[in-house]
Amino acid sequence: MEDQSSKQTYGLSTPSMHLLLNEFPLNQVESREIIDKILLSFKDVPGGLMVILNEIQSQIGYISQPIQEYISAILNIPVSTITGVVSFYSFFTTKPRGDHTIKFCMGTACYVGGTPQLMRKAEQILDIQTGDTTPDNHITMEVCRCVGSCSQAPVVVVDEQLYGRVRPSKIPPLIREIMKTYEDS
Amino acid sequence: MIPITINGKQYDVPEGKTLLRVAQDLGITIPSLCDHPDLTPHGGCRLCDVEVKGLRNPIAACTLPVSANMEIMTETEDLQDARKTILELMLVNYHGPLSIENGKTNYFLKWCQQYNVDVQNKMRKEPKYKVDSDPNPFIRVDLNQCILCTRCIRACAEIQGRFVWGMANRGIENQIIAGSGVPLLQARCESCGACVDYCPTGALGHKPSFGAGSSEKKVQTTCSFCGVGCNFDLNVKNDQVIKITPNPNAPVNGKHLCVKGRYGYKFINHPDRLKQPMVREYLLQDGQKNSQEIGPWVEVDWDTALTIVAKKLIQIKHESDPDSIGLLTSAKCTNEENYLMNKLSRQVIGTHNIDHCARLCHSSTVSGLAMSFGSGAMSNTVQDIVDHAESIFIIGSNTTEQHPVIGSKIRQAIIRRKVKLIVADPRKIDIAEFSSIYLRHKAGTDVALINGLMHIILENNWQDQQYIDERCENFEEFKATLAGYSPEIVSSITGISVNDLIKTAEMMAAHKPMAVFWAMGITQHSTGVLNVLTLANLQMLLGNMGVPGGGVNPLRGQNNVQGACDMGGLPNVFPGYQTVTSQDFIDKFNLAWQTKSSSGKHDNELSIKPGLTSTEMIPMALDGKIRALYIMGENPLVTDPDVNHTRKCLQACDFIVLQEIFPSDTSAFADVLLPGVSFAEKDGTFTNTERRVQLVRQAITPKGSAKPDWEILSNLANKILNEEQREITGEFAGWDYKNASEIMEEIGALTPSYAGINYDRLNHGESLHWPVKDSQHPGTPILHIGSFTRGKGKFHPTEHIDPKEMPDEEFPLLLTTGRVLYHWHAGEMTRRSSDLLEVYPGAYIEVHPEDAIKYGIRQNQQITLNSRRGTTRGKALITDRVSPGLVFANFHFPGEQNTNNLTIAALDPVAKIPEYKVCAVKLVIE
Ligand code: SF4
Ligand code: SF4
Ligand code: FES
Ligand code: FES
Repeated sequence: MEDQSSKQTYGLSTPSMHLLLNEFPLNQVESREIIDKILLSFKDVPGGLMVILNEIQSQIGYISQPIQEYISAILNIPVSTITGVVSFYSFFTTKPRGDHTIKFCMGTACYVGGTPQLMRKAEQILDIQTGDTTPDNHITMEVCRCVGSCSQAPVVVVDEQLYGRVRPSKIPPLIREIMKTYEDS
Repeated sequence: MIPITINGKQYDVPEGKTLLRVAQDLGITIPSLCDHPDLTPHGGCRLCDVEVKGLRNPIAACTLPVSANMEIMTETEDLQDARKTILELMLVNYHGPLSIENGKTNYFLKWCQQYNVDVQNKMRKEPKYKVDSDPNPFIRVDLNQCILCTRCIRACAEIQGRFVWGMANRGIENQIIAGSGVPLLQARCESCGACVDYCPTGALGHKPSFGAGSSEKKVQTTCSFCGVGCNFDLNVKNDQVIKITPNPNAPVNGKHLCVKGRYGYKFINHPDRLKQPMVREYLLQDGQKNSQEIGPWVEVDWDTALTIVAKKLIQIKHESDPDSIGLLTSAKCTNEENYLMNKLSRQVIGTHNIDHCARLCHSSTVSGLAMSFGSGAMSNTVQDIVDHAESIFIIGSNTTEQHPVIGSKIRQAIIRRKVKLIVADPRKIDIAEFSSIYLRHKAGTDVALINGLMHIILENNWQDQQYIDERCENFEEFKATLAGYSPEIVSSITGISVNDLIKTAEMMAAHKPMAVFWAMGITQHSTGVLNVLTLANLQMLLGNMGVPGGGVNPLRGQNNVQGACDMGGLPNVFPGYQTVTSQDFIDKFNLAWQTKSSSGKHDNELSIKPGLTSTEMIPMALDGKIRALYIMGENPLVTDPDVNHTRKCLQACDFIVLQEIFPSDTSAFADVLLPGVSFAEKDGTFTNTERRVQLVRQAITPKGSAKPDWEILSNLANKILNEEQREITGEFAGWDYKNASEIMEEIGALTPSYAGINYDRLNHGESLHWPVKDSQHPGTPILHIGSFTRGKGKFHPTEHIDPKEMPDEEFPLLLTTGRVLYHWHAGEMTRRSSDLLEVYPGAYIEVHPEDAIKYGIRQNQQITLNSRRGTTRGKALITDRVSPGLVFANFHFPGEQNTNNLTIAALDPVAKIPEYKVCAVKLVIE
């Protein structure tokens, strides 16, 4: 939810479609085609919004603010409603994810168990903020809610793999492990 | 009625309401937060939980319909405990000041107090969100005080129809967001303030009045911006308006307001206000005017100023003749003042040369509708249309920006009653997104478009033949001209596909009654009268006249432009449209206003020839036929077409008196400036676009030595009559009014349609639409029921004619002009309301993206438009609201930003309205 007040001078009128279509990723022919196809197929299906969001999330990889505005304009649904849904479910993301994600559990047990320290360590090494993706697109850092393994707090989930009782010293090797896949190729 | 028991007591209550509403009606308090009578029930906060016999768990009263024999307890100990817990849970995320009255009432804190919740200790210790987090200059957002009741979300959607607010995230992170989580204005907020009014806490506040404290008195009055005629309360402290609050008794708008009405009051106290009469120095010396250099202003007292004006007007009147003087009255002033201007002109000076800005906005409507129906005003009321129309056709009205409260009422009708909306406009205006069909026809092709639709209607026999046979005339001639408007031909003229034409005609025929709304997009053409006649034809053809939910509904622009017309502020009619070309009316007014001078002869012999229109009067200054102008509250140097020409004309005048509240552009050419007052400083009445007469009440004392305009006019008239030694002999010839109410009595006596209107009735809350025939008559909300004012409705054959100036090689773009939400006309008031100016600080010119690429211009870049007549500058606003080849600019800013440097003074032959809506320009980059 970054401040974009500088972008538009006169916020009164209907967002101008041409401004929207200049924004990433709508300005990429390929992404536009994918999104348009999804919108077209499910536009008139009852409950179609959920399906559309699911499809866009899996085919584009995220549902950023311009995409939300675009869906809103095409389906004639207030954008606040769409943002509401996107922000409600944790499986929707508003930013592109990297090839790999590291999730830090923010459940009470893990939080108390030291998640903040783990995050700080990872942020230092990767030089990004939690929620962001490394410039090379390899790793995304995220927080998540309790994953149900409180007994092993603090918990970190790398892609689908769960790691328990993680100490800050464990973070560098974890990251190295991920980066190895790139060196090999 | 069904019996129910509340707290052990029996009541008979109406069915079909919720328990909460029933209890409120009975005066029983059930605490509630997320519920509001104007909004759909939500059932989210559970503060209104009550115990119902037979149910195991408490249940929310706000969503529970009452049923027979229900037994309800509203304040048991368990309920009280539960409520305390609910409030305490809300406090976990709450942080804010403890005072209940902080600009507005905090109902959440009120309930906390009632249920003994220790707010100070239970609330969050520090704020979680930034306080005052949104840059919108009107809406103050403090999410720390938000209790997630969703009232703002529902208010914005259901009242304003804008859907700005929503709810994001979940659990502890739950919060309200604007749009996709962006600043309000970017989320398309129209700053109407509805969400603030419905928010039960301090989470949303009115920024302009934040911290202004509570008022000493509230005065109900009528808004002075547009013709909707909203009522509200001026809140006064230390003789200043500190804020404006809605008044639920307001007949037109209820509690709803728009940004100008609610927040645009700062101009009242602006330092620029004129506070002392001023005359040019030469008038105090030898009286010789230097036509090159008009000389400095000198402040004088009222007597000096008025004596100068009186002597000068008499001198010109005798040197030339009364018809060498012209008067511009004002659609911003009250009915009483307009009546007096008309009397000053006709009785005291002796000329019919009186006109006002209606010439520039709806003169074509007045002429056209008078020809078709015999009455040139809006035929139905807004509420009637919102309640009964099956479809609404908006053509040439940017309703949500120009008449915002009517715009939101139309949106409400669409949301609540699924009314069909058809919008035809060269620009894709905001209301188009609510339409079932949107037609982007080429500017200046309205007659062709409507004739094409009527062609299709007739071809399919969808017309209301019985209605036509019984109530209308001239049908056959009219029908014959439609033959030339086949869908194919019309499609090529208008740019609308044949398919869309057929769909539109079909929808109009299938959804009756249909109400038509229009404004300047129809009237400001050299074919303005033809456009209006064509729309009148359409409504007769479909049988939509004189029925609830139908009608012709020209939206009047100024707060009192209807009244200024009604009061004889036109060159061809006395008050109440009694024509000056009829000897009977001439005799009537000669007698009523009769004066005798010492020589013993009648002074007022009114001519039977109409006077000059404003668009004729001003140019005639150039050849000396008009020597003096008396202008009240108008600014022709900004609003007239081709203002470069207007400037020369004003310069050529011998003598100009300007009665104003601000030094406008026109004052540079005035010889005398008389300080009038704003609507907050005087009493009177305004007549809104629905012909509804409403009170304007004085709330504060006039600034400096400024005077209510009716007082200025009376003093001047008395001066002239004295000077000329004329004795008052007619019953209504005198000018000694003690108050505005007395003037209304005189109006009623001389104006049949206002005969039953007086301040007593208005003060008792009666809402009267003229004609009001006598003091018992209830007024006439819907015109033309049973028969038309002129008897039969008359069909007029009309033909498409191209606008006077079309794009060509040298001037390849078509310019159309208009207004924007945040400003008002020449901008004298809104440019002096700092918050409005902050949102919309200067002239923007709308350019289509394709043209932007063609000319290589970026968003916000300074661009220049040239026409054959002049130049204007502004920032490019690149948008697909306009179509390729079309540019749009507004006329709120003076000087080099003024669009009327470009516009053409091509006049409609009948109404003399200029063609503001179409001219040819070229775009230049600096
Ligand atoms: S001010 Fe009006 S338009 Fe803006 S968010 Fe509030 S209700 Fe909606
Ligand atoms: S801002 Fe006010 S109205 Fe909106 S949800 Fe919060 S408390 Fe309710
Ligand atoms: S709190 Fe982290 S797994 Fe439950
Ligand atoms: S008022 Fe009934 S649940 Fe909020």
